[in-house]
Formats: sequence, structure tokens, C-alpha cells
Amino acid sequence: VTGLAVIAALVVASTAAAQTRTLVVGTSATYPPFASENAQKQIVGFDVDVINAIAQKTGLRVRLVNTPFVGIFASLDNGDIDLIVSGVTINDRRKQSYDFTAPYFEARQLLAVPASSPVTVLQDLAGKKIAVVTGSTGDDVASRAFGKTSPNVRRFDTTPLIISELVNAGVDAAIGDNGVIAYRVQEHKGLKTVADPAMPKEYFGIAVKRGNAALRDALNRGLAAIIADGTYTAIYRRWFKSEPPVLPKS
Amino acid sequence: MDQPQILWFGWFRADIIQEYAPLFWTGLQMTVGVTAMCIVQGSMLGLLLGMARLADARHGVAKAVCRYGLRWPATVYVSFFRGTPLFVQILLMHFAVVPLFVNPADGWLVSGDLARDLRQDYGAMITGIATLTLNAGAYISEVFRAGIQSIDRGQMEAARSLGLTFRQAMRHVVLPQAFRRMLPPLGNNAIALLKDSSLVSAVGLAELSYAARTVAGAYSRYWEPYLTIAFMYWVLTLGLAWGVRRLEARYGRGDTR
Repeated sequence: VTGLAVIAALVVASTAAAQTRTLVVGTSATYPPFASENAQKQIVGFDVDVINAIAQKTGLRVRLVNTPFVGIFASLDNGDIDLIVSGVTINDRRKQSYDFTAPYFEARQLLAVPASSPVTVLQDLAGKKIAVVTGSTGDDVASRAFGKTSPNVRRFDTTPLIISELVNAGVDAAIGDNGVIAYRVQEHKGLKTVADPAMPKEYFGIAVKRGNAALRDALNRGLAAIIADGTYTAIYRRWFKSEPPVLPKS
Repeated sequence: MDQPQILWFGWFRADIIQEYAPLFWTGLQMTVGVTAMCIVQGSMLGLLLGMARLADARHGVAKAVCRYGLRWPATVYVSFFRGTPLFVQILLMHFAVVPLFVNPADGWLVSGDLARDLRQDYGAMITGIATLTLNAGAYISEVFRAGIQSIDRGQMEAARSLGLTFRQAMRHVVLPQAFRRMLPPLGNNAIALLKDSSLVSAVGLAELSYAARTVAGAYSRYWEPYLTIAFMYWVLTLGLAWGVRRLEARYGRGDTR
């Protein structure tokens, strides 16, 4: 019982402290154009600009820490980081365990295949080998379509690895978020992207610990503010060379 | 707060493991299979390398051949594989070295559709077996070298003076004695190899760790999958250690008086 009391006290103390200290932002920096590390070891990208703009608007102080995606939610659980801004798709399963801000990016799953591939929709990949990032939305899509324990679904740690595996003909296709897949495919002439129109719209959100409403609300206010004053549009244009879609408010 | 849920019983969601049971089962088979193959091949490679590192001759050309053709390459090889992280070797092998040899476009060894099939069906397994064998060979060569060197020079001299050739003396006199001394370190290497095989999951080989990563990725839960495979690895290493003890008892019979 004393142990619980101590834990409770620590939790309360840390929540109070969170308002004044620098917030640690976990991001997996192998995900251009959302987040990647440049030669100076700085993390740059759309996600980075968005969270920095929000921080500036709200007066929150933030520090980005490069955190591998496979352990990023565990890092949030155990308090190593205070929030995740890492191209995290909001879904029901994640909403059970974490709180999300309003969407800050509209995404769709996109297939990458060799330029000569006849694949046009996801179902064309039945019986084919597919590379995905472990635990990503692409993993979800492939697992749901072809079986969670199917040997045809090959899981890797990062997006560069699934593209390399595709380039080296280890798989027939890679599945990932449109922004990242499109960016990576540009770098490889032998590849093309395939958009399955049946893939649902998804939204990226900023994840905070379950119940950390104070932080979530602050972030939401900041996000609404940068969308209202055009900062968001400028950031979107810079990284995606196109106009941002209208995002839902929650 | 649902934070300290680990404090009471029932936190272990066995249903998750159940759901992914086929992945854990095939993963276990893959881990055991790859480890077994690599122990056998690594030992053979290790024996060759160990011999190469001990190669010497008394005169002229043969002496130079032994030095520059055998000892030096073997030393550099062992130094590289012991001096670089296995994880780095695996990534290098899978994404850089193997694609040079097996590549649908212009593989040096295999190309065309066969290369594509090989890469797709066995790509990660080829990488895993090749890298672990090459790596284990380097470590095991040191075991062989030390084992052979630990046998008193007089044994070889006595065997040769009885009229045995070098080859016969090595095979019937020195190696059997050395083997007995090499068993414990060989057992250690086998256990290390079993555990190291977990690193191959990084290139998508569906072994035990891959199963755990898949579950952790899907549920963001870490106790269940990793505790499960930790237990499985533990049982496997206990089994290996038991096997090595049996072998020691068998080959060590002559020692007890």
C-alpha cells in the first residue's frame, strides 16, 4: 500500500512538473519527410516543424528525442517521453491505451511495387510477399488482409529497410503511409507507387499518456491556432509541395 | 490510474500469445534449425580456420605459403568477425553483400527469376545462416587453436617418432585429446550462437524474436511476448548445456581413475 501511495505521489508530482519542465517529444527519425536526422544530427521534417510551431504558440518547451518506432509507445508508458509526434495513425486500438490530439495530417496507405508490377489493388498481393514496418498501420493492413501469422508478411524496423528489401527483390511489395512511401519511391527509379482506392483515410495525431488531458488540450489549442493563422499551411507546402486538405476538428 | 496493473495476478494476457501461437511455434523451429546448422557448419569452418592459423613449415616456399596464404588471411578473417558487431555483419550481409551475389538484375552468382525466388523464400534465412556460420567459425577457430596448442608438443613428437604421418598423428593422437578440452568452450559458443540468432530478426527472419517483435508491435505490450521467448530461449540453452555435459562425461571417461 505504501508502494502504491509512493507511486501515486510520484505520478501527481510528475504531472505537476510537466507543466513547467521541457517536454520530451519522442519521434522515430527514419521517416522522411515527417522526421529524419540530418548530417548535423538534428531531427528535421514535417512532424518537427508542426510540434515546434505548436510549442511556440502555446509557450510549451519541447525537446525532440529520436526513439525507435517499435518501442515508442513503451517509452511513453514508462515516462521516458511525454508525447509522440511520429506519424502515428489514430486508430481504435491505440485510442484504448493513449489519448490523441485532433488530427494534424491526413494519410492513406500506399503500396510500393517494382515498376513492372501488375498490382493495382491490395488484394492483388494475395500469396505475394509483403514488407511492412513492425506495428505500423501498414502492418495492420497486411495482417488483416493476409493473416497475422502469415509468413508472407515480412516485418522490419524501419521504412528504409522495407524499401531496401523491395529493391533487392526480397518482397513483391511494401506497404506504408503515403507521405513516406511516395518520398522513398522517388529515390528509386525501378519502383512505383500504387494507391488502392479502397484504402480508408487515416489521420496522424499526437499521442500523450492516457488521462493527460491538460497536455492534450494545450496541444489541441496550439494546433488549432497554427491552422487558423496559416503557419500549418506554410509547413505543409514546404514538405509536400501541395495544399493541405481540410482536417477534422477532432 | 491503471498504471500499476503489474502488481496483481492476471496481468499476463496469455490470449495474445495464443493468438500468435503459430508464429511462436514456427519461430521456435526456425531458431532451433538455424542454430543447429550454424553450430555444425561453424565448427567445420572453425576447424579449418584453426588449422590455418597454426600452419607452419620449416623451409622456403612452403614457409611463405603458410605465412601469407594461410596464417595471415585466417588471422585477418578472425579479427574482422570477432572485432565487429554481429548486428552490423547481419545488416551488411543482407542488404549489401547477398544482393551482390543473388540479384534478379545482375547477380554475380544467381540472377533472374531463380534469384527472385531465392531472395523471397529464403533471403533472410540465407543471410542468417551465412552470417552466423561465418561469425561462429571465427570464434570456434580460436577454441580449436587453443585446444590443439594446449596438447603437449611431446605428444606429436612421440607419435611422429612411432612412424605416424603428421596427418595421422593429428587425427588419432592430438585432436582426440584436444577435443575433450575443447568441449566446454564449444558448448559456450553453441549457447552464444543460439542467443545471437535472435539478431537475425532484424532482417525479417521469422524466428523467436521476430514473433515477439510482431506481437509487441501489434499490441504495444512487452511483458507477454518477451517473457515468453525469454523462457523458450532459457529452456533451449538449458537443453544445450545438458547435451554438452553428457558429451563431456562420455569423452572424459578415460580421465577418471
